[in-house]
Amino acid sequence: MRLRSILRALCLPATLALLVCPLRAWGQVTSTGYINATLINRSGIAVIFDSNSGGVSLGGNASSAASLNFGAISAFGALSPGVTRPSVGANSFTVQSLFNVQVIEGGLGSPNYTLSAQLATPAPTGFTYQVDTISLSTTAQTIQSNGTYNTDVQHTLDLLVLSAAPSAGGPAVGTPLTTTINFTATSN
Amino acid sequence: MGWAPLVMVLMLMATANLKAQGRTGSAQLTISMDVTPSISLVFQNNSNVGNTGFCPLTNAGTNNVGLDLGSASITGDTSSCVNYTLNWAGWNYQVSSAFEVVVSKANSSSPNYRLSAEISTAPPANVTWLLSNVTLNNTTFTALDTADTYGQSVTKTLQVQVGLFAPAQTLQETITFLATAN
Repeated sequence: MRLRSILRALCLPATLALLVCPLRAWGQVTSTGYINATLINRSGIAVIFDSNSGGVSLGGNASSAASLNFGAISAFGALSPGVTRPSVGANSFTVQSLFNVQVIEGGLGSPNYTLSAQLATPAPTGFTYQVDTISLSTTAQTIQSNGTYNTDVQHTLDLLVLSAAPSAGGPAVGTPLTTTINFTATSN
Repeated sequence: MGWAPLVMVLMLMATANLKAQGRTGSAQLTISMDVTPSISLVFQNNSNVGNTGFCPLTNAGTNNVGLDLGSASITGDTSSCVNYTLNWAGWNYQVSSAFEVVVSKANSSSPNYRLSAEISTAPPANVTWLLSNVTLNNTTFTALDTADTYGQSVTKTLQVQVGLFAPAQTLQETITFLATAN
């Protein structure tokens, strides 16, 4: 028993020393790993709206989800900044704003693009929407067939509004109306 | 030797992919507006313009026109289109000319409108401005009509009555017409 105690007392420090000493020596050893990363940069195009200096300032300017608020419109009253009234006829009037579309391309060999537009939902009663004099519907209409990439291209948005009273087929009055136009650019 | 054709094919495929047509991008533009009812008032020449009693308006067809009644005195008016009458009993003379007022409406269910007018400054002594026999003043709008029809011209005659003893002077007024939807 005494011998065992002596050996145990001697052996434990010895064992610790054996463990510690090699660890200190192996701390200089390094190991290397490798990550083989891959990125596929695909070609693509993006469409954004930019405010035009001659039109209404867009909400969400320089984005692909912008808004254009004509404010209060009427045949004879004052209009918001950037809104013009090119015509007032016997049965309708037109209010107008300019806006820019910029189509950005990356990785394409395409020389230009075709721009189309369509209403997300049917136009409210008494309204006709036109982009560059092309009447819009819920079916896509070609607005431009040879748009230039990476630069603002000016477009004209016309709202043709019937002058009739709401009870006679005209648009609702005193109620904010909202319509969404979806634009699609397709590389040529 | 065996890999060369495959590499060329892959390169051709990559090139073809870069020039791929028909890539699309889309965006949404949300349009909003609020239609408000409105009415307009414009002045037009009468169909008899040029004849006596119907002088031409300058800038006809707008809401800001001019009407030159010439130069008048106890002996008459220099402008042939002016209707001149000398009223000995009233100790004055009157010059007059008729024109048209057209009020239009849009997006309104208003059945008709009322019309009133006001002169810009108080006239000098012994001078009276009238519209179709209704005397005007510069402090309030004076009612002319109570239920005129939209889109139909309404003939109004501007009259200026000048006392025979009024001093020589230039008489000038801006007459504001006010149409109000009923």
